[in-house]
Amino acid sequence: MEEIKDPAYFKELAHRLMFDLSDAEAADIAAEFETLGKQLTLLESIDTTGVEPMVYPFETPTAYLREDVVDHVISREDALVNAPKVRECHIVVPKVVK
Amino acid sequence: MATMKELKETTTVRQRVEEALAKAHASQPQLNAVVTFVDVEEQLTGLNEIADGPFYGMPIALKDNVCTQGIRTTASSKILDNYIPVYNAHIVDKLKAAGAIVIAKASMDELAMGGTNLTAATGPVYNPYDHSRMAGGSSGGSAALVAAGVVPFAIGSDTGDSVRKPASFCGVLGMKPTYGRISRYGIIPYSSSLDHVGYFTRSALDAAEALKVLAGRDDRDMTSSYEPVPDYAAALSSDVTGRKVAIFKNVIDALGNPQVKAMFEKTVEALKDRGAIVEEVSLREDLLKAILPAYYLIANCEATANHSNLDGIRFGVQQPGDSMEEIMIQSRTKGFGSLIRKRFVIGSYGLFVENQEKLFRQAQRVRRLIVENVAEMMKDYDILIAPASSDVAPKLDDHSRDELSDGYLIAENHMVIGNFTGYPSCTVPMGMLNGLPVGLNMTAKAWDEQSLFDFAAAMEEITGMKDATAEVME
Amino acid sequence: MEYEVIIGIEIHCELKTKTKMFSGAPVLFGAPANTCVNEIDLGHPGTMPCVNKQAVAMAVQACTALNMEIDPLVRFDRKNYYYTDLPKGFQITQQFYPIGRHGYVEIETENGPKKIRIERLHMEEDTAKQFHYDAGTLIDFNRAGTPLVEIVSEPDIRSGKEAMAYVEKLRTTLYYLGVSDVKMEEGSMRCDVNISLRPAGTEKFGVKTEIKNLNSISNVQKAVEYEIERQTQILNEGGQVVQETRRFDEATRTTISMRKKEGAVDYKYFPEPNIFPIQLDAQWIRQLQEAMPEMPEVRQARYVELGLPETDIALLVANKDLADYYDQVMKHTSHAKIAANWVIVELPAGLTKLNKKLSENPVAPQAMAELVNMIVGGEISGKQAKVVFEEVLQGKDPKQVAQEKGMKQLSDTSALIALVNQVLDEQPQSITDYKNGKDRAVGFLVGQVMKKSKGQANPAMTNKLIVEELKKRI
Repeated sequence: MEEIKDPAYFKELAHRLMFDLSDAEAADIAAEFETLGKQLTLLESIDTTGVEPMVYPFETPTAYLREDVVDHVISREDALVNAPKVRECHIVVPKVVK
Repeated sequence: MATMKELKETTTVRQRVEEALAKAHASQPQLNAVVTFVDVEEQLTGLNEIADGPFYGMPIALKDNVCTQGIRTTASSKILDNYIPVYNAHIVDKLKAAGAIVIAKASMDELAMGGTNLTAATGPVYNPYDHSRMAGGSSGGSAALVAAGVVPFAIGSDTGDSVRKPASFCGVLGMKPTYGRISRYGIIPYSSSLDHVGYFTRSALDAAEALKVLAGRDDRDMTSSYEPVPDYAAALSSDVTGRKVAIFKNVIDALGNPQVKAMFEKTVEALKDRGAIVEEVSLREDLLKAILPAYYLIANCEATANHSNLDGIRFGVQQPGDSMEEIMIQSRTKGFGSLIRKRFVIGSYGLFVENQEKLFRQAQRVRRLIVENVAEMMKDYDILIAPASSDVAPKLDDHSRDELSDGYLIAENHMVIGNFTGYPSCTVPMGMLNGLPVGLNMTAKAWDEQSLFDFAAAMEEITGMKDATAEVME
Repeated sequence: MEYEVIIGIEIHCELKTKTKMFSGAPVLFGAPANTCVNEIDLGHPGTMPCVNKQAVAMAVQACTALNMEIDPLVRFDRKNYYYTDLPKGFQITQQFYPIGRHGYVEIETENGPKKIRIERLHMEEDTAKQFHYDAGTLIDFNRAGTPLVEIVSEPDIRSGKEAMAYVEKLRTTLYYLGVSDVKMEEGSMRCDVNISLRPAGTEKFGVKTEIKNLNSISNVQKAVEYEIERQTQILNEGGQVVQETRRFDEATRTTISMRKKEGAVDYKYFPEPNIFPIQLDAQWIRQLQEAMPEMPEVRQARYVELGLPETDIALLVANKDLADYYDQVMKHTSHAKIAANWVIVELPAGLTKLNKKLSENPVAPQAMAELVNMIVGGEISGKQAKVVFEEVLQGKDPKQVAQEKGMKQLSDTSALIALVNQVLDEQPQSITDYKNGKDRAVGFLVGQVMKKSKGQANPAMTNKLIVEELKKRI
């Protein structure tokens, strides 16, 4: 089964998902991982040799492709109306160093 | 109260809309089911050009993960507190074209990721039958509004049992049609391979009428189906003579509450009396117990990706920061509740290269096994039935559940099968226990919603609980 | 020590579709910021992708041109990472099942033709464009969602020259197909080069660096050559090459470290649940393949057949639009070499004078062919033709111009013989010179005849007649 992970591990993992966990939340999740671990044992114990992962509920392939015709464009006003910060018709964030 | 059909026959448009709005406002302190009240005047003026139909001038509510152009849509998450969509979900266009009047956006578990409706940014939704109890989730607001007689119809969404569980707790009909039956375009997702649009009504006929309006192919949702949409209402029949019903035996065995078991047995007897052929079927116990963990992984893995767009940059609530990274981190930390962030962490963990094979992909393999076994189990039957919950709606502060017990793993989570298989599944009232409703869950084979409507109609006659509502206002 | 250079190249090309990869918003280069978007491109909640047919068609054609196996079951996956230019927080790409596999192109090297194998071609979507200023980064989402193909070579490339030849080969191929503008300067074609060195004769790959920001084909060669030198020096000094991303700096013609690669990033790829696998119709694929325009190799072979000089062929094949024009001209004349000369030399020179692009070329292919035919037919001299061409560039008909200018070339044999004999009578010294083997006497005599005819004598005929008449006089 899963090795026991400490709260710091989950804090780091959260950070990679672009949010923080408080100490209490990280401790919670570490504790919940034990229950989860036991549930996952139920999953792992099932023999799935030769079974393909099921990604979609129905697996008959479709044939539909969208025609390459402009059918929906929104106004610039609409594009930016929800943006928290806008400058010169662009969405703006602090300088990004790529 | 009145169903859609009765409302249409007995009220004017303005009467029923105004009455619904008044009730929605009046019940808000008791239920806390509404996130946003919607202005109806403009909708009423636009109504003249619309042809008659079941939704004509009908007050309805939408779960707050349904995008409504120009109307705040928060999915009950703080990060979307100020989000005003610039487009309508496909079903909103369909409902409006049919003349429906949206009076409210209904509360839900944050981002639909829960089964209690305790995690909404606006606080819990209270059960119309007992305000100290849950309405259930994640579509709790929608269920409560229909159960309280505020609206005759409300949209919900169902990823695990998010329509069918609150329907059970609130004593209304909760319908989740086949995957792909209703377009998901414009529904803020939880887990794309499990998400379904569903809805609540107080009668089988309304449910049958509604699906005809909502169903059909939408090119914007590539997973939506070309399957023809029949006239369910015209074909509706409560005569179940000779229809084949499978009792989900493992679930019955796992029930903790003997009263629920007794109620179920009574229901079975009633169905037999009406000529239905009822037999017991079972699923491999190891697969049943794996439903919850498999669901948990698939749902959270997909959810962590689905909600990566919520970063406070292009829309939503942005927190201050000196760098793009700080803005994103602050916005997501403050914007998401604790439970959501924890689930994202678990979902992400399951997707890591070193874990994906034994977690996410193992869950998907188990999903296939479950789907194949269920298909085999249901092969000779029209519907599969079991109680939708092992008990009545829990108290708001009930933390007693044992997450490793059969009662929890099987009796509380079997409805996920409907999401794994994509099969249509529906909860209808089965009876009352100490003044609280308990639901019966029925699942049919893909595209056979008609059987569900027919049995729902039969159940209405058996229970007498058609159009059941709770008296909320004092 | 001798090192073997190992180079692999990844190329991203924007496809020339009218709409985005997964949305019906327009793809336009240079449009005002944030005017070519809809809710899908902005990654708004509830939106879903819908695959562009033309993008798939173009990918199929690109695969065919690159000799690849096509997977007719099109599948997409999510690549998860957070960045301000990535609206959804994931990119939809084809990680697990690229549409094309196992292809190759042939490039010319000093040692003859060489096959460079191509590992994969897959479809994906572009990111938004960011403009970095001290006061902040501005984001324009017009580019977000533009269809891309990524083409990944096997590590078969061994030098800067080969790298350049490979990129050039892909560039012309995709341009010929008409699937991309392939402008490296504008970013519609982007190139990342992976380079490592290993001691000659060994098997194990050395540590590689990745070079980005290559905005022209010649920079590909320069950057690779610099990087080879840099790595060679490090290794010769007993050092270790650091695995990192470097960018090419045009000013110094060097590569500069951008960031170290601290372990591989885990993009948590998983199949895109909102796009069911799409089965491409075999007949549709065949139709697309049959409709493909002529590829550079075929054109090259055709020009060799026409007997064009090697340099002309190279120039024409590398300039598809000019070659297309040449082919149009060749529909109206059979004089391939002279026509090529006029299309390659005189036309571009004339357009430059007019400050016009080839796309604004006022010379109809028929007019160009007519001019060529007039020269070959001896109606006008080459010199006259240049004068006529000045006005043909204004859109006039060459026949008419020659007539207006009274430029009828003197090609009448008897008249020319009379003139020739007149000149011979006046220049006895030239006859003596010719007798003594001084061939240039003929040239002098031709000049005299031209003078006498006011430049209208047909030079070729004059030359021939002078020699004939001289022979009679010896």
